[in-house]
Amino acid sequence: MQATPWEPEGVEALLDSNGALVDPSAVSGIDLRSYYKKMVAARVLDHKLRRLELPMWASSAGEEAVSVAIGDSVAANDWVFVGNRDAAIGLIRGMPLTELARELLRSPSAPTRGRALPGSISSSAHKIMGACEALGASLGLAAGHAHGQALAGDGAGATLVVFGEGLTTTGMFHESISMAMAHDVPLVFVCKSQLWPDGAPPEAGLLGDSVADRARAAGMWTRRSDGADPLGVKRSIAAALHRAHDGAGPSLVEVVVTSITRDPPAERDPIERMRRLLDSRGEWTQTFQDVSEAEINGQLEKAFEQAQTDGGPA
Amino acid sequence: MARLVAALLREDDRRCLLGEDVRSGGMLGLSRVAAEDEQLRPRLLGSPLTGAGLVAHAGGLALAGLRPIVLLPSASALLEALPALRELGRLPWRSGGQHDVPVLFVAPNGPGFGVGGDQAECAEATLTAVPGVEVWCAGRAEDLCGYLRSAAEFLGTDTDDHDTEHTSGPRVLLLPRSVIVRDLMIDLDLDASLPRAPTAVLREGDRATVFAWGAALAPALAAADACARHSGIEVNVVELGCLAPLDEALLVELASATGKLVIAHAGPRRGGIGAELAALFADRSILHLDAPILRVTGELPANLALLAGHEEHRASPTATAIANAITHVVHY
Repeated sequence: MQATPWEPEGVEALLDSNGALVDPSAVSGIDLRSYYKKMVAARVLDHKLRRLELPMWASSAGEEAVSVAIGDSVAANDWVFVGNRDAAIGLIRGMPLTELARELLRSPSAPTRGRALPGSISSSAHKIMGACEALGASLGLAAGHAHGQALAGDGAGATLVVFGEGLTTTGMFHESISMAMAHDVPLVFVCKSQLWPDGAPPEAGLLGDSVADRARAAGMWTRRSDGADPLGVKRSIAAALHRAHDGAGPSLVEVVVTSITRDPPAERDPIERMRRLLDSRGEWTQTFQDVSEAEINGQLEKAFEQAQTDGGPA
Repeated sequence: MARLVAALLREDDRRCLLGEDVRSGGMLGLSRVAAEDEQLRPRLLGSPLTGAGLVAHAGGLALAGLRPIVLLPSASALLEALPALRELGRLPWRSGGQHDVPVLFVAPNGPGFGVGGDQAECAEATLTAVPGVEVWCAGRAEDLCGYLRSAAEFLGTDTDDHDTEHTSGPRVLLLPRSVIVRDLMIDLDLDASLPRAPTAVLREGDRATVFAWGAALAPALAAADACARHSGIEVNVVELGCLAPLDEALLVELASATGKLVIAHAGPRRGGIGAELAALFADRSILHLDAPILRVTGELPANLALLAGHEEHRASPTATAIANAITHVVHY
């Protein structure tokens, strides 16, 4: 792997920056083309939302590996506590697109009646809990929820909470780790850490760049993955969920993500990196790309149009 | 109360106890009986010392279908956890009615332990200002168990009808410290809920209406008794057991019936429920009022809410002060 300032340190890589698999056997069960289409769908959703110019909305382009891995890996009775850049989880988890659109448009006919936070989605039917306003509150709620799942006994699912590295300086982050460890709950923390090519600025107060190191110091099972490596992220999150289902306790997966809006080198884009893999295997063509994009684009256009006519922004 | 806590856990296996030391009996001994029962111990969730973490954790348990009862060492713990409490309060609303948060927080409140500071603070003014949070305050010692049983019952959350606004948020039950320190030498029926709504008329009369709650309730009843015995003045005494949401229609009706109003409560005079009640009556009972609305609180300066341990006895209104106020409005 070429060493540029854009490459994160201490990550487990499965797909290198040229799109070559470090361990081909690790992806034997995955339909790579269909997984790639999910990544593309997540990106197209982000583009769609950008064009809508929703108030207080923030792009998650470049973070698709996290949303897709979560949506693709959770079991039917697992709950996901989301933040405000995780709409693609609803997409991958199979929320009807019109319902997803109503949530994002904050329409009165949405499941949350237009009360969700900007960019957030919530669906009881698809076991997605919307974002919280109080800093880090979703971490504490998720820890308690996982505890409740554990008390319910066999057959109950795990709980996963996804958040950004900014929340890891709050008291609630540390309190939640403490609660999760004390009660040994089936909880997966997924932290999206923004990559700073020159290291995080001191005012970010990140106590060292690695959130995973901090959680490990608390005795927690952790993995640090590269958000530009969709298959590595998928492997880490699936492993963490597997532990939770097995009663092995809480875990934290840190994914180092690179925002596409900051114009990083092409290999920092998880979709491009996976495209290179498919291309090298002869499984990618421009037509396949165009059809994949057009398919989801058409579905989203229709869903947002429908949502706008029956409710519109609240 | 410890026996009642154990009984509540046995009756509904969705209930669990949460708190820093619930596995060793709890700060007030409230989980003492439950801690001795091997069957119940898995639902005693002893937890690390956190600020907002415990409150958020309880909310998460409720979202997963449990009915957590959180035993707090002090109502001020909820002030430390205010961000999480606010989140719990708005969660049923925010979810568009998809989720209930049936958590009960039980917390000693106000003066009574002689420690001062946070351990003497009356937290109700802040707690009742949090949207979506129900705040109850027990009054007389003999009602403590009835309050606890009724507060632990979340009616209306057992239906699956999430299309209506019948969702339930968290509830806080405040136990006045001055009441719980008294030895309780009465036989109580552990199965009995409060046989009335928390806000109710406890004593009837037609010359004036006294609104009181918490530590001020017993002095208010004693004052009403003294007025009846010494001057033949019979007054209504209303226990304000539910501080949020206020049953405004009922309160206005009770105020308008006599037009002479006394409001008695412990803690600071400014910016609290007493002020809110006075404003409510000025708004909606004005044509029935025959005297100024009198508020009787502690004897400390009006703006002083901070107490040393040795000042606690002055933080609640006395029966004499309340009786004087009754006499004043009646003869106004």
